[in-house]
Amino acid sequence: MIRPVLLILFLWLPVAAFPGHRMDMDSMVMNENPTRLPQGCAGIAGDRTITVRAGRKYAKPFPGVVFAYDRRSWEVAPCTRLTVRFINEDHIRHQFMVHGLPPDLYPMGMFTIEVSGPGEETASFILPPYKKTYLVHCDIAQHTEHGMKAQLKVAGGDGDLASLPGLTKPVRPDRYPTRWTGRSLLLLALALIAGAALVWLGRWLIRAMTEDQP
Amino acid sequence: MKWLRLSAYLVGIGCSLLAAWWLFPGKTTEAGVTAPPSRKWVPSLSETEEFCRFDHPEWRRAQTIEGVEIAADPECRPDNPYLVAAVVKGTNRVTMPTLMKTRLAMDAVVKENDRDGDGDPDVIHIRLEVGELNGSTPDGDFLIPGYRIAPGLTPGLWVFVPKMRGMATVDAVNLDAAPLLRAPSPPIRVEQGDTVYLTLENTHYLPHTIHLHGVDHPYRQADGQGNDGVPITSEKPLLPGERRTYMIQPRRAGTMLYHCHVQTDKHMLMGLQGLFIVEENRPDNWLQTFNVGGGKVRHPSRAVREKYDQEYDLHYQSLDKERYRPIQEYNDPRLVAKGMNRDYDITDNEEDFFLLNGRAFPYTLRDSLIVVEPEQKILLRVVNGHPHSLGLHLHGHKATAIAADGVPLAQPVTRDVHALAPAQRLDLVLDTHDDGLHSFGQGVWLMHDHAEKSVTSDGVGPGGDIGMVVYRQYLGDDGIPKLQGMDLTPFFNLGMFRKQIPVWARSEAWEIFSDTGPLPPDTLRVILSGISLGLALGLTWACWRRGRQPS
Repeated sequence: MIRPVLLILFLWLPVAAFPGHRMDMDSMVMNENPTRLPQGCAGIAGDRTITVRAGRKYAKPFPGVVFAYDRRSWEVAPCTRLTVRFINEDHIRHQFMVHGLPPDLYPMGMFTIEVSGPGEETASFILPPYKKTYLVHCDIAQHTEHGMKAQLKVAGGDGDLASLPGLTKPVRPDRYPTRWTGRSLLLLALALIAGAALVWLGRWLIRAMTEDQP
Repeated sequence: MKWLRLSAYLVGIGCSLLAAWWLFPGKTTEAGVTAPPSRKWVPSLSETEEFCRFDHPEWRRAQTIEGVEIAADPECRPDNPYLVAAVVKGTNRVTMPTLMKTRLAMDAVVKENDRDGDGDPDVIHIRLEVGELNGSTPDGDFLIPGYRIAPGLTPGLWVFVPKMRGMATVDAVNLDAAPLLRAPSPPIRVEQGDTVYLTLENTHYLPHTIHLHGVDHPYRQADGQGNDGVPITSEKPLLPGERRTYMIQPRRAGTMLYHCHVQTDKHMLMGLQGLFIVEENRPDNWLQTFNVGGGKVRHPSRAVREKYDQEYDLHYQSLDKERYRPIQEYNDPRLVAKGMNRDYDITDNEEDFFLLNGRAFPYTLRDSLIVVEPEQKILLRVVNGHPHSLGLHLHGHKATAIAADGVPLAQPVTRDVHALAPAQRLDLVLDTHDDGLHSFGQGVWLMHDHAEKSVTSDGVGPGGDIGMVVYRQYLGDDGIPKLQGMDLTPFFNLGMFRKQIPVWARSEAWEIFSDTGPLPPDTLRVILSGISLGLALGLTWACWRRGRQPS
């Protein structure tokens, strides 16, 4: 009789010690929150589920990017309970990590799903009522920097984040070698002619304005 | 007549300008009777780190965690004892509260199946990831995740790292690398005869492999998969996002090596190299599978405990600024690959930074000290990760080499400089019996590569791979060695290794050794060059005036 009780206690203790946190060999969820309302939310405005796929193959449309999500931007209404079904299609870890949430409900302002390899995990959290753009990324070393970055906009968001593959420009873009093409040479020639024409036009205008009319 | 006059003017102007240029004071000025005074350097506290600030002093003491005995490590920053317990028991067997203090993934070290019934697991599954330290980011002018080898020094590095969970950084605010994510790539310990699965999960953006250098392993596995980690013979490079498992059942014990074999002159020397130790088989032999950190083995194997009082892993490696420049300059992996594989030429370059267990002096004094008591025998497992030879010198001792490259030496060699070829490993016995040969008595004794550039960081010394053998009575309770030499404060200043601070700035005789103040320019030169320049201007004006007059 005592052994099952001890077993239940052993399994329950970690859950009690780390609320909103679950972990096994395949995945980890931190700061899950399907019930507690953020300040300013009178109730849950609605439920929404998004499926997020992560992996190298989603980076292929973007030259110079190695890892990516299948989407880089989502929009949700304030006080939405968002359920994220996170599917990892690579054979390494990937994360769906949200930053900037209220720290009273989400320690360090974060909500995280991590999937250890090929597989999936699902977890929910409730978004605050404010108009804000939240950073979503994978915080494994250099994954954000190589493309696994997205944004979650609540009430339209308060701007766009930088360096989102295919959506926004990096803060510090790389520089690449310049190669002149036929089109750029043609443009240069046309620009030269236009410059000369501007001189001629200017002279003609000045003469027209200063010469006395007959 | 007109042309003659013009020529005279031009010659006059030219001579005056030449005289002004020649007489103008230069970058340096000759001193008169008295040399200029010294420039006194006062350290800015915001720029100078404390010798030892550490949030977990309780980690230093000997302790038992989940039944795992963990030896004391009294230096400033000992390795995390919970991590030691987790990798000894296995991350699949340790409790959640302990695992939560490590950042290890639950499947980082899976231990199971005591096949021979001798009380320890015989099937071990180890998972490694690849981490980049101090890499560039498209999000601004900073490096991430940050990792300092010494104050103010953040070279680019790659490391194998035990499979982690959670963030690569300390937290969402502090962008320094999480403690698990550090150099060197961690020493790995397995038991002779165990079946070991070593899985590489390539979390990096470039291809990699693992070559088990000197470890008994088959060239191919039963299913035909390559097992040697060499892209030009046994297998394709492992691409980003993929994983590959190497399988071994090592028959011989010894100190070996593992490293990436893709573009070895770059990848291995970027830090993808670590000790791989096959321990002798013993009953109830629970091994510290990973030794992450400063080198002390806090839970040695049975065989080591039978023969020695302590055990340390010493990993020497070096970094070249030109080699890691692409990962700090570019984000696009194509530019990184071109910069490293085609623009960089190892035959044209020299190493700039020299590390002992992932740090350079003075950080080596925080977590890579060898702390000893008199009359001990200490096993040092040393690897030379440099692309050049290493001459390991211990002050005050003559250590004895008992094995090289995992093979016992027929004739042990006792000397105070031990030579190691690149990739070579030596098992050294440090004997602290004060007999005038093995030890000269208690003290704080330096330990370093005697190739002198290795004791500098980018040419500033003392720096580089300087370590110390510290007798316990010479170590404070706060883990700081009781030194009686020069004031080390300047070495903890962020400007020291950027060559902004006089090396002897805090010497008692700083007025002799500090930087000189400047001198004003020589008075005579100022006057004469001024007159010459004025003459040139006057002649130019006169020439112009003359030219405007009607002839």
